[in-house]
Amino acid sequence: MTSSESIFRKRIRKFTRLKRGYWSFLLIFGAYFISFFLPLIANSKALVVKYDGHYFFPISGAYHAATEFGVNAIGEADYREIDRAFETEGRGNWVLMPLIPYGPNEPLLDATGSPPNPPSRAHPMGTDDRGRDVLVRLAYGFNISMTFALLVTVIGEGFGIAIGALLGYFGGKLDILGQRGIEIWSSLPFLYTIIIISSVIVPVYLPGQYQLFQPSFWLLVVVLAVFDWMGITYYVRGEFYREKVKDYVAAAMASGVSDTGIVFKHILPNALTPVVSFAPFVIVGNIGSLVALDFLGFGLPAPTPSWGELIGQGMSNLTKWWLVVFPNGVFFLTLLLVVFIGEAVREAFDPREYSRLR
Amino acid sequence: MTADAKAAPVLDVRDLHVEFTTHGGVVKAVRGASFSVAAGKTLAIVGESGCGKSVSVQSIMGLIPMPPGRITGGAALLHGTDIVRRKIVDGDDVRGNRIGMIFQDPMSSLNPTMKIGDQIAETLEVHRGYSRAKARARAVELLTQVQIPEAEERSQQYPFAFSGGMLQRAMIAMAIACEPSVLIADEPTTALDVTIQAQILDLLAELQRKNGMAIVLITHDLAVVARMADEVAVMYAGEIVERGAVEDVFDQPAHPYTLGLRGALPSRSTERAGLNPIEGAPPDLFAPPTGCGYFARCAHAMRVCEQHHPQQLPVAAGHAARCWLHAPDAPRTHPAIQHRVRR
Repeated sequence: MTSSESIFRKRIRKFTRLKRGYWSFLLIFGAYFISFFLPLIANSKALVVKYDGHYFFPISGAYHAATEFGVNAIGEADYREIDRAFETEGRGNWVLMPLIPYGPNEPLLDATGSPPNPPSRAHPMGTDDRGRDVLVRLAYGFNISMTFALLVTVIGEGFGIAIGALLGYFGGKLDILGQRGIEIWSSLPFLYTIIIISSVIVPVYLPGQYQLFQPSFWLLVVVLAVFDWMGITYYVRGEFYREKVKDYVAAAMASGVSDTGIVFKHILPNALTPVVSFAPFVIVGNIGSLVALDFLGFGLPAPTPSWGELIGQGMSNLTKWWLVVFPNGVFFLTLLLVVFIGEAVREAFDPREYSRLR
Repeated sequence: MTADAKAAPVLDVRDLHVEFTTHGGVVKAVRGASFSVAAGKTLAIVGESGCGKSVSVQSIMGLIPMPPGRITGGAALLHGTDIVRRKIVDGDDVRGNRIGMIFQDPMSSLNPTMKIGDQIAETLEVHRGYSRAKARARAVELLTQVQIPEAEERSQQYPFAFSGGMLQRAMIAMAIACEPSVLIADEPTTALDVTIQAQILDLLAELQRKNGMAIVLITHDLAVVARMADEVAVMYAGEIVERGAVEDVFDQPAHPYTLGLRGALPSRSTERAGLNPIEGAPPDLFAPPTGCGYFARCAHAMRVCEQHHPQQLPVAAGHAARCWLHAPDAPRTHPAIQHRVRR
């Protein structure tokens, strides 16, 4: 007999046995991990350029004028163009482009016809109304959506756990006043408030200075988190009320453990089940919120690749099926997979299996 | 023995009053409890459910939720210093350091998300400032001391891998980690099997012999009292109604309630079948009676008992009871005497 497995470990092991949820988890977080390397996969800048015996790495962000590669053009080199040029020249110069040689914010106006262009071999999901590759924008948008949802979830839940723990542990007047405060805060219409905030916070310039204040990713994260912490407080508060009267808390008090020690080391690990079980659904909600805000035009500043903005384009170009089907399809699929994760997490954390009849 | 206890009590609780404010009114849960225990001795507090046994010791340990609880009076002197409502005395933490406590249900007294060894080590880290590694090593020693086999591996396990008896041993290890001078055991064997009960009691007695701590044992099991205690305090309706050396209280109960408790014990003899409970119920502690709390149930009640609250009256050396029957001018219906006649 060696060291025993903690309940948490057991639950994780059970989670890995729930195939649908576990595979959804691997798929979503595998894709999320890969999406951090998107600049290497889908980009308009070359990975490596060999020109006249020298190697260049434009992917690192270095600026190379077109003239550096012997192309008579103004501004930065167009690596796709150079690639074609080098191939026809056949002088041993070459360009290694990423797998998808298009950037997320790059208007591809050289295609035949006017944008939005339907799916083609070069652009399997077509281009949007500014000629940007839909596949690339969806891929970059996935990273942004997930990062955004995870950040809002972590910040919002963290704050909610702290408040819920405080109310539940100390109880009394603090609890009553705190709960009323939360109820008032919850009754603010979230979407309208955000729309108002987003329309008030406009880019502010000071004369002769750079931009001071503008709607940004981080601002939106904070604003959404501010409206996203109330739900979990009820559960954490309830858990704390239930756990704090248990004997192990009395035993910890009798051993002289401080209030902070009792709250964080003793009660909190026993009160996290609802937090973990709800987290995937909170993530779903936050992805949805961002998409909704972007769709309405109050979200991330243009030209950030965002799903909501693409869905909005589909709305205004209903006849361009690829702008309707692909963004909505990807959105739906992502939410579905995260819900599958949530379902499995809930199943794995079901306490019935480990409870004793008393 | 009782003379020793009087001479140097480690823990001396004097006239403790505890109240709880509820929606139904104020419950006077403890109404002037006094008891003391000397080093190396065991005091058993006995009484039925709801008589204030646990509340008394919990208020000493600061485990009463306030509000609704309130300690309205009295003192608990540990080595002569009052520890009620105080966390630190003479620069030393009291709880867990100078007084240890074990609880009734070992299954729920340990944190299910912490390893046993870590829970014991935590006490040492808090009070002794031990490093994590040193505290863990000491925790393994303590587990060995409370006779847990393979203590090294066991300390790395979670509570659900332990049986009830082993959890209570781990609890004891946690309570004695800082070598307290008083160990409070709140019904330590009630939730355990009879065979395990005996082992736990033996363990407590052995630890007491080794480090000379005083034990306050709360129980309603008179067999446990007979086995463990040096002195007994019988509690009824928030008061200590009788106290004395264990043989005195058992052989010559001086309070009719103690007599009733003894009578209620199932007997192995064949002369009477079934149980012999005390009739009636304890008084309403929302409005405690002005007279004796046992008046309504007492077979020896007198007129004085209804209106006048009995004082602690001496019965013999080191033996006292809160009963008017022991007043000098009481009629000669001493329950103990009657008991002896009946036997």
